[in-house]
Amino acid sequence: MRQASFLFLLTAVLFLAACSSDTPSSDSRSPTDDAGEAFNFPTKEIEIIAPATPGGGWDATARSMQKILTDEGLIDQNIIVVNKPGGGGEVGWQYLKSKEDGHFIAINSSLVITNHLLGQSELTYEHFTPLAILSTEWISVAVAPDSEFKSGVDIMEKLKADPKSLKIAVAPSLGNNDHLAFVQAAKLYGVDVTQLEFMIYESGGDVVTALLGGHVDVATMSVSEAKEQHLAGKLKMVAIGSDAPVEGLEDVQTWTDQGIDLVFPHWRGVMGPPNMSEEEVAFWDETLHQMTESEAWKEILKNNEWTPFYKNSSETVAFLQEQTTRYEQLIMDAGLAD
Amino acid sequence: MGIEMQYFMEGLSSALQPINLLWVLVGGFLGTIVGMLPGIGPATAIAILIPITFGMNPTSALILMAAIYYGAMYGGSRSSILLNTPGDGSAIAATFDGYPMARNGMAGQALTISAIASFIGGILGTIGFIILAKPLAEFALKFGPAEYFLLFLFALSATVSLSKDHMVKGFIAMMLGLMLSTVGIDRQTGVHRFTFDIPQLSEGIDFLVVIIGVYAVSEVLYNYLNLDWIKNKNKLGRLWITKEQWKRSKWPIFRNVPIGFLIGVLPGAGGAIASMLSYTMERQLSKEPERFGKGAIEGVAAPESSNNAASVGAFIPMLTMGVPGSGTTAVILGALIMLGIRPGPLLFEHNPDMVWTFINSMLVGNIFLIIINILLIGLLVKILDTPPRILYPLILILAFIGTYTLSYSVIDFFILIIFGIIGLLMKLLHFPIAPLILAVIVGSEMEQNFRKSLIAYDGVLDILLASPITVTLCILTILSIIYPFMLSWLKNLKTHQA
Repeated sequence: MRQASFLFLLTAVLFLAACSSDTPSSDSRSPTDDAGEAFNFPTKEIEIIAPATPGGGWDATARSMQKILTDEGLIDQNIIVVNKPGGGGEVGWQYLKSKEDGHFIAINSSLVITNHLLGQSELTYEHFTPLAILSTEWISVAVAPDSEFKSGVDIMEKLKADPKSLKIAVAPSLGNNDHLAFVQAAKLYGVDVTQLEFMIYESGGDVVTALLGGHVDVATMSVSEAKEQHLAGKLKMVAIGSDAPVEGLEDVQTWTDQGIDLVFPHWRGVMGPPNMSEEEVAFWDETLHQMTESEAWKEILKNNEWTPFYKNSSETVAFLQEQTTRYEQLIMDAGLAD
Repeated sequence: MGIEMQYFMEGLSSALQPINLLWVLVGGFLGTIVGMLPGIGPATAIAILIPITFGMNPTSALILMAAIYYGAMYGGSRSSILLNTPGDGSAIAATFDGYPMARNGMAGQALTISAIASFIGGILGTIGFIILAKPLAEFALKFGPAEYFLLFLFALSATVSLSKDHMVKGFIAMMLGLMLSTVGIDRQTGVHRFTFDIPQLSEGIDFLVVIIGVYAVSEVLYNYLNLDWIKNKNKLGRLWITKEQWKRSKWPIFRNVPIGFLIGVLPGAGGAIASMLSYTMERQLSKEPERFGKGAIEGVAAPESSNNAASVGAFIPMLTMGVPGSGTTAVILGALIMLGIRPGPLLFEHNPDMVWTFINSMLVGNIFLIIINILLIGLLVKILDTPPRILYPLILILAFIGTYTLSYSVIDFFILIIFGIIGLLMKLLHFPIAPLILAVIVGSEMEQNFRKSLIAYDGVLDILLASPITVTLCILTILSIIYPFMLSWLKNLKTHQA
């Protein structure tokens, strides 16, 4: 009988070992060479680094890529997703930087720029090889359905008179997209943005709860986090930072429509380790472009309320430069750095 | 009501389809196993399964993931009772009396009562879900920063009051936990606190690493110091409970369902707090509180029904508002969104079939789980027969694997070992461990909510008097501290008069 319990525990250990390798068993394909091309890549397993715990946007992007690149036959090699959470991406990106190998890629977002500007990280996108921007979410401002505010401009008018008069909910940290998008809109309207009172919640879900419960006056968050509640009449979106009205939310005006010249994407992209070869970059350009064209990818974007925002590697570099300038200014305006 | 009844019947027949039965069974079984293993909680297990759910029908995926979640509530207490190493935060309270029961040769009965209590908690919780989902979701919204702060304060003070004879030691353990919870980026200001430029520390110390360290690792260390204990064979008594034991457990099981359920509904509270509060309440209601901590069967029954009810309650904010009530429901929410289902106020209107199939699958799943868990008892108690030279190294292996799956970081191993040593010292010096753990679990949220309330209200008095809920919580907090003293004072008075 001793053996029975030992076997039981051993099975448990093996089960765990199998789980923690994080490799879907169906992916054990044999490597095939890219017959048409002289350049042979990838030659081994591809590792997609999600610098966060499972459950968020980075992880979702990584796992969607894993699924589609395999299912659509875009990459014949095995693909795994590795979660490296910590420090707003820092842990995962340090890990990527330590790899001198184009088989490793990591998901990123504006945090790869702002962490550095906020003095929280040595790293910026310049320490890596930007490969693509894949998608974006748009950022919205919402209030309670019975709120006195009918538009984003109404809110800004009140804040201009007294910047401390409203409690504004944001998640998960100061200096992120949702926060800075609001700061920029306020700044453009002439509000003293250093005086604003933000309450920082753990997640977008908590921000929604706080607004529904009347514990804050205004919330700034992704459109996807507010959409269902808006459609159900539980809260009211009053402004969206997109370039055109969002599908299904035509009743909500963009900031531009309201006379505030603001388009603020919350994008997610992919980057590789430093010093990738031109051929490797070209491979990812081709592969990721095809991925974003696939029906399966479009379906996932739609389910997540993400908008297509594909940029190839060279467009991405230019875009990141432009974003850095913008964030630098905003973070200074918000009084988060000097 | 007519239409609801029709939905209910349709949901029942859909939940009874062979494919859905299979998913409930697979999920429940997986959940029981991951629940038993220290560190591998339901959240990790579900996250690993996300790629598998990609192609699934969303309803089946929800059934599977939910079964893992409440299955883990059954499994969690198994290792608490047998090895004094809780599988998850919500299983901690089961160690208090479950482990003493096992050492008194009543392991089988402890496992049986916890399975029964889990079953009743799960079934009544599901019925509560059917009747109360919408109004409770509205109630949960009333909890703002002030309410949360006081709820956490109450949970902490109740846990400290458990260590009645060593209140000071309990208080010190709690303070240590609160200090540990300040490690990481402070959310309100973005300042790094006590992170020593180690990026892995920026998100704080994961309470699960602390739990595995101070329970599993320190238990192993402790037993190596006391190898003689292992020699005296545990006499395995009967597996089934006696009538007397059922009589003791009956009311604790039933009256803790609503407590667990309500706390589960509140986003951010969850099973650990629910089971801890239930345990405290039972002890304070008991006519013989001195039996608690020495193997009182109602001390196993109460927290076990409570944490299962909490796991059902946690689905309410997720499904009705799209707001996850716990770490595990957050992962489930993410997986559902990938499948094109966005839980929220419209889910009940747009996908009633899905919601009702899910509800019925919970009824079916709990029946499966009590059968699985009672059948497993005979096998599980054999763990106690395993020679220590095999058992303890195995626990260590599991502890390290479990820790690694939390954030895939080697630094956690060092934290694990440090907490193993801290746990050992606390055991040797007779410090209670529960206040430390609970403080680590709620500390950061308690602080953040306190600071948010300072922004929202004009000072501490305003926070305390913010709403009827805060006033109630204040009174409960004060009572939880002075009640044990009042009891002994009254006793003294009586003996003096006599």
